Amino acid sequence: MNKTLLSQSLRVGITFGVIHLFLLLIGFNAMLGSLFADIARVKQSGSIPASIFLVLYCALLGVWAGYSAAKKEDANVFGRKLVRGLIAGTVAGLISAVVSIIFAVLVTNKIDPRKYLAVLSLDFMRASLFNLPVVQGVAANFGVLAGAGLAGGLLTALSSFSKVKHAWKNFAGLVKGGLEKIRYCTSGKYHLLFKIIFLVVLAAAIFFLPTKWGSYWNYVIGTVGIYVILGLGLNLIVGLSGQLVLGYIAFFAIGAYTMALLNAPEPHNLMWGFWPALALGVVLAAFAGILLGLPLMRLRGDYLAIVTLGFGEIIRILLKSDLMTSFTGGPRGIQDIKGPTIFGQPFNTDVNFMYLIIGGVLISMFIYNRLKHSRTGRAWLSIREDETVARASGVNTVKYKLLALALGAAFAGLAGGIFASRNQFTGPDEHALMASINVLSLIIVGGMGNIPGTILGAFALKGLPEILREFANFRLLAFGALLVVMMLSRPEGLIPSRRPTLQIPEDPQSDEENKEVSHVD
Amino acid sequence: MSTNIIVTNKVTKIFGGLTAVNQVDLEVKEGSIFSIIGPNGAGKTTLFNCISGFYTPEHGDVLYYDVSIRGKATNNIASIGISRTYQNIRLFSNLTAIENVMVGQHPRLKENWLDAVVHSPRFKREEKTSILEGIKWLNFVGLRGIANSPAGSLPYGAQRKLEIARALGSKPKLLLLDEPTAGMNPQETLEMTSLIRKMRDQFNITIILIEHDMHVVMGISDHVAVLDFGNKIAEGKPAEIQSDERVIEAYLGPGGAALAEKYRRKKAS
Repeated sequence: MNKTLLSQSLRVGITFGVIHLFLLLIGFNAMLGSLFADIARVKQSGSIPASIFLVLYCALLGVWAGYSAAKKEDANVFGRKLVRGLIAGTVAGLISAVVSIIFAVLVTNKIDPRKYLAVLSLDFMRASLFNLPVVQGVAANFGVLAGAGLAGGLLTALSSFSKVKHAWKNFAGLVKGGLEKIRYCTSGKYHLLFKIIFLVVLAAAIFFLPTKWGSYWNYVIGTVGIYVILGLGLNLIVGLSGQLVLGYIAFFAIGAYTMALLNAPEPHNLMWGFWPALALGVVLAAFAGILLGLPLMRLRGDYLAIVTLGFGEIIRILLKSDLMTSFTGGPRGIQDIKGPTIFGQPFNTDVNFMYLIIGGVLISMFIYNRLKHSRTGRAWLSIREDETVARASGVNTVKYKLLALALGAAFAGLAGGIFASRNQFTGPDEHALMASINVLSLIIVGGMGNIPGTILGAFALKGLPEILREFANFRLLAFGALLVVMMLSRPEGLIPSRRPTLQIPEDPQSDEENKEVSHVD
Repeated sequence: MSTNIIVTNKVTKIFGGLTAVNQVDLEVKEGSIFSIIGPNGAGKTTLFNCISGFYTPEHGDVLYYDVSIRGKATNNIASIGISRTYQNIRLFSNLTAIENVMVGQHPRLKENWLDAVVHSPRFKREEKTSILEGIKWLNFVGLRGIANSPAGSLPYGAQRKLEIARALGSKPKLLLLDEPTAGMNPQETLEMTSLIRKMRDQFNITIILIEHDMHVVMGISDHVAVLDFGNKIAEGKPAEIQSDERVIEAYLGPGGAALAEKYRRKKAS
C-alpha cells in the first residue's frame, strides 16, 4: 500500500516536473505571469513580469500537482493525502531545481543559449530564478513547488472532510433549487411574460452594447459574429447533411470578392452599392455550391473531403494568379471597398457594422433553426445517419445534398460580403485553407449540429485568441491542449446536440383510432 | 385479389463470377403474404435488393403492377409504394423513434425548405399530421410511449418493430420484410407474426417475407418460394413445400429426403 502511495505520487510529481520544464523552455511562465500582472494592474516593462508573479505561477502549478496526487488516495486519511501532495511537490521541485541549476550556471557564465531556445535570454533566466542570488534562487524554485504541493495535498484533504463536503453539497443544492425555481417560474403560466422580458433585455443589450464598448470590442465580437454565420452554414452541410466539406472558405471568398469587385474603385469601379452586391454574392455562392456539388454527389466521407479541399485551394490560387490580376487585383487584393448605405445615409461606422453582423447572425440562426426542424432537416439527418436507407425511404438524396450545399454556401456568401465590406479590404490570403479548418474546428469544438455550440465554438476559437493577445505565441499550444481536453472529457463537443422532444398529442388508446390511419390516399 | 403486384421475369444478378440470383420468376398476388426461404447464401436478400432498386439485375425484368421498375432510382421505387426493412437493423439511430417514422413519411409529404423557413400553412398542416400519423404507426406496431427516445437506445425487439413502423410511414402497397423475427424469442416471434397478419388484413398490404423460422413461414404464408444457390427450386402452398424432396435436400443435403421420411415415420409410430 505504501509502495503504491510512493510510486503513484512519484509519477504525478515527475509528470508535473516535466510539464514545468517544458513550459519553462518555451517561456510560458513569463507569459502567464504577465497575464497575472495585467489582472493585478501592475505595469511592467518588456515581456518579463515582476518576480512575485513568477512565484505565483510556480505555486499554482505546485498546488495543482499536490491536488492531483492527493486525489488518487482512496483511503480517507488526512495524513496520507498530505504526504502524497508533499511527495509530488518535492519531486516536481527537484526537477525544477535541476533546471534552475542549469540556468544558474548559464547566467553566471553569461552563456546565451538563445541560438537554440529562443526565449532563454539571460534576463528571462534570471527572472526564472526570481531575481535572487543563484543559490537562493535554486532553493526557492525547489521550495515553492514543494510547499505548494503540500498545500495542494492539504486542500484536497480539507475538501474531503464531511463538513466541507456537506457545505459544498448544500451550496450546490441551493443553486440547483434556485435554477429549478427559475425554470418553474419561466415555464408555467408566466412563460410568455418571462420570454418577453428576456427578449426585451436581450434586444436592449444588442442595441446598446455596440455603442458602449468601443471599436476594439466591436471588431472582436464582429469577427466572432462572422464566424458564427460561417459555422452555421457549415453546420448545415456537415452537421445536418453529413457531407465533410473542407474547402468551405471558397464560398466565403466568392461572397467577399463579389462585394469587392462590385464596390471598389479598383479594378473595375462598378460601384453597385452594398445591398445588390451582397445579394448577388449570396446567390453566386449558392450557385457555386451547386456547381461544386454536381460532380461530387457520388463521393462520400474522405474522398469528398479531399476533393472539396482541392476546390478551396483552386479558388484561392485563381484569385492570386497573374492570369486574374487585371480582374481580381491578384495577390494585392482589393482595397477601399465601400460600406453600406441605408436610405442614402452612410451606414459604415463600426457600430453600424456591428448591427449589420448581428442582423446577419440572427437571420442565419432563424433560417438554420427552422430548416433543422422540418421535413428538409429530417431528410438531411437521415442522409447523415445512413444514406442508403434514406434513399430507400424515399428521400431524393442527390437533391437534398445539393440543397444543403447551396444553402450552406449562401450563408458563407453572406458572411463574406459583410466581412469584405467591414474590413474595406479583401485578398486571396484571407481565404486560405487554415480558415476552412478554423470553421470546421469551431463547429467540432462547439458541438456538431446545434446553434449554442456554434456560438460557443466561435467565441472559443476566434474570440479568445483576439482577447488574449498575450497568448499570441501560445495560441497553437493552448488550442492543442483545448482539443485534447475536449476530446477526453466532451468528445461530442462542448454542447452536444440533442434531438428535440416533439409535443406528442394525447395517446390514442383504442384500436378504433388506429383504424383511422387510412391506408388509401 | 387476382392482380399481380410484383412479377419478376427471369431476374439474374451476377457478382463477378458468382451468379447470386439466376433467372428467378416470381408472381406475387396483391394482398398476399409471400415467403421466400432457402439456406444461407441462396440469394434471397439479393433478390430483395433487385426489387427495391439497390441493385439493377443484369438480365430479366421486375414489373410492379405490370410496369417495369428495373433500374429505377431507389427513392422513386420507395415513393411509388414499395417499402422494406433490413436483415441487420438499419435505423437512423441518433434520431428519435418518431423522427424515424417521419422520415419514412417523407415521400408522401410536399413541404419544401421554403415552407419550412416561412412556416407556411402547408408546413404547419403537414408537420401536425405527420406527428399524429407517426404516433399512430408507432402504436400500431406496439411501441407506445417511446416516441421521443433515440432509436439506437431501444431494445432489439423494439428496433425491429420501429423499422416496420418506418416502412409503414410511406403507406406502402408492398412491404419487403427481411428476416423480421431474427434473434427474437418465441413470445416476440408470436407478436411479430400477428403484426404481419394485421398489416395485411387491416391495410391490405402485400408482404414479401424472407424468413428462416419455419413455424412462422408455414403459419402465415399464402405462397412460398424456395431459393437455393440463386435458383428457384420450388414454389407453392406451404403444405406442398413441406413435402417437396428438392427443398428438403437443399436444407439437409443429398439423401436428406430419405432421412426426413425415416424421421417422420419414427415420429408417427
